[in-house]
Amino acid sequence: MELELKNVSKEFSGVHAVNHVSFSMKKGVYGLLGVNGAGKTTLMRMLCTLIRPTGGEILWNGKNILGLGADYRNILGYLPQDFGYYPDLSIYDYMMYIASIKGIRQGAARKRTKQLLGRVGLAKYEKRKMKTLSGGMARRVGIAQAMLNNPQILVLDEPTAGLDPNERIRFRNLISELSEDRLVLLSTHIVSDVEFIANQIMLMKNGRFFYAGTTEDLVSSMEESVWHCTVPKQSVNDFVGKYLVDNVKTVPGGAELRILSKVPPTKQAVREDATLEDAFLLYFGEKAGDKDDTEI
Amino acid sequence: MILKYELKKVFSKKMNRIVLIAALLAAVALSVFAIGSVRYVGEDGVGHTGLTASRNLAADRNRWAGELTGDKIAQVVSSGKEIRIQYPDDVPNEIYGKTIQSYNDIENFVIGVLTPDTVWDTSVLYQLEDEQAKNLYSIYEKNLQEMAGKYGKTPEQQRFLTEQYEKTDLPLTYEAKDSWDTIMMYVETYGMILAIVIGFLAAGIFAEEFRSRADAVYFSSRYGRTNAAKNKVMAGLLMTTIVYWAGMGILSLVSLGVMGISGFSTPYQIDQPYSIYAMTYGQYYLLAVLCGYIASLLAASVTMLIAAKMRSANVAVCVPFFLFCVMPFIGRALSAFLTFFKLTPDMLLNVIECAKNPNIFQIGNYVFRQIPCIMLLYFVISIILLPFVYRSYHRYGLKK
Ligand SMILES: Nc1ncnc2c1ncn2[C@@H]1O[C@H](COP(=O)(O)OP(=O)(O)O)[C@@H](O)[C@H]1O
Ligand SMILES: [Mg+2]
Repeated sequence: MELELKNVSKEFSGVHAVNHVSFSMKKGVYGLLGVNGAGKTTLMRMLCTLIRPTGGEILWNGKNILGLGADYRNILGYLPQDFGYYPDLSIYDYMMYIASIKGIRQGAARKRTKQLLGRVGLAKYEKRKMKTLSGGMARRVGIAQAMLNNPQILVLDEPTAGLDPNERIRFRNLISELSEDRLVLLSTHIVSDVEFIANQIMLMKNGRFFYAGTTEDLVSSMEESVWHCTVPKQSVNDFVGKYLVDNVKTVPGGAELRILSKVPPTKQAVREDATLEDAFLLYFGEKAGDKDDTEI
Repeated sequence: MILKYELKKVFSKKMNRIVLIAALLAAVALSVFAIGSVRYVGEDGVGHTGLTASRNLAADRNRWAGELTGDKIAQVVSSGKEIRIQYPDDVPNEIYGKTIQSYNDIENFVIGVLTPDTVWDTSVLYQLEDEQAKNLYSIYEKNLQEMAGKYGKTPEQQRFLTEQYEKTDLPLTYEAKDSWDTIMMYVETYGMILAIVIGFLAAGIFAEEFRSRADAVYFSSRYGRTNAAKNKVMAGLLMTTIVYWAGMGILSLVSLGVMGISGFSTPYQIDQPYSIYAMTYGQYYLLAVLCGYIASLLAASVTMLIAAKMRSANVAVCVPFFLFCVMPFIGRALSAFLTFFKLTPDMLLNVIECAKNPNIFQIGNYVFRQIPCIMLLYFVISIILLPFVYRSYHRYGLKK
């Protein structure tokens, strides 16, 4: 079981959305982390044979996925970022339709639909029309449809975007449960989505992977340290200008800062454990999304 | 199973349901108009419309049912003459109801026979001698020969027309055919409505994935580019067939159920003696219904192709409207100059006109008439487009 990207590029009239990416994936959960516009969706669309790379090739067990065609799609499950569905179908009919175009026989499809809807907690809503579902419920149907054919490759494009914090946690657990024995590729711009469930993290920026490894590797690869210090209110702006500041918290008599720096920013600064979030800040030069979109 | 759920998608879509209900209401409304348009004048001279008018009219006219012999024709002509001498200005309603109404079709046949290719002129009826009336069929046969010579521009065409003319058995067999005459106009109108409705539904089959952004899941599924696309095409054809025949069925059942089916085997020549289509009124109706079906098939396959190519139904749904509603205006203006415009798709929904006109074409030695020609042409086009619809889905996003 190996999915290999070989020098894969995708150019949209001058924009290098994906730029010479080479990478190999086996069983396990892969977290594709990057800010908006990094090229995550474009890469995933190529992996799902929706668009053709303008350069390079993608191989599944050594064979080009476009050549494999339906055989490759047969082992693929995909939850797109912009998950659309047929609004007037019931959840059950929607699942049965997707099962049919995935080539699953009616009997098996029925069983699998019931089972998956139970798993994502929608069994009692199966008669509800898709258009009446909340964003979170629709996303759960989205993951259920991706799982219908028990795929070896599960591609989830920002599966937690737009969910409220509780739903997001449920979703993370669900993905973690479903990830056994397959290759799961999950993209996000939110660090906490993948921090604990991904075996490997790929950082993507401007169409390139510029770091790939485990969370621990990534954090320990940072040359900068994380410092905690308290500074007077009037000098907060100086620090923000001078250092990478991860967090500012106003306290009586000043502000507590969390700063990324090779050297201590103040004499009293205390070193803290670095997290994936800090790495994200360091590598992307901007804050790692927000823990939850709802906080924005 | 794909086909079943593809159809379920079509028929569960809210907009589609609204459109289908509108189409159903149109069928009922047109039936009501058809039924209401028949007028029967009783022996007391009072005009009636409504549920029983059509059957009463048929009963009245069917006094003349059967072989329309020269003697019967002469009888009609002399009775008509007498009445007009008695009432030179206007025939009173009760006289019309008692006599003329019953043989109106026969009088019209006589006028039609005597005025080939010229203006309709009622006065020919009164100039006809008794002996001539008895021998109307020999005049008719002589004129048919002449018309074959006139309409046919080449020897092949003339031979072809003579053959067509010989297919009508003389003397004609008469039976009141008003219900068929009436329903024809509504079949054509409703055929147009159905073609537009079917085009709308068919476009949706190939645009829905894009409209609802379900395309990513669809095209990344195992069969999205192969079997499922094939099944979408099948669903389009099946939907067309179901909607068309259900709609036409309702219109026909309601209208004919009320008006009756008298005249199914009356020759069309009773109304159009020089038509090049030898057929009965029943066949005439079936021909129009079949042409309507082909128009709907064409609407479906053209809209499916455009929707698949443009990834949107917006333009596609307008196309049947253009083909069947706008085209006639362009066609009418230009058909005088260009034969091509006699073969436009709107002709499929204008069988009434096509059947009257001696439009024939010739390729090599082969001569063919307008109606079979457009039927074949547009049936073949509808089928030929389908692989392109499939291909457009098959290669979606992956074109080199
Ligand atoms: N169909 C497209 N046409 C043109 N540009 C595109 C298209 N899709 C994506 N892009 C561009 O490619 C870049 C990467 O986009 P995307 O893959 O959606 O990033 P992400 O999913 O990481 O937010 C962006 O600059 C985006 O504007
Ligand atoms: Mg994206």
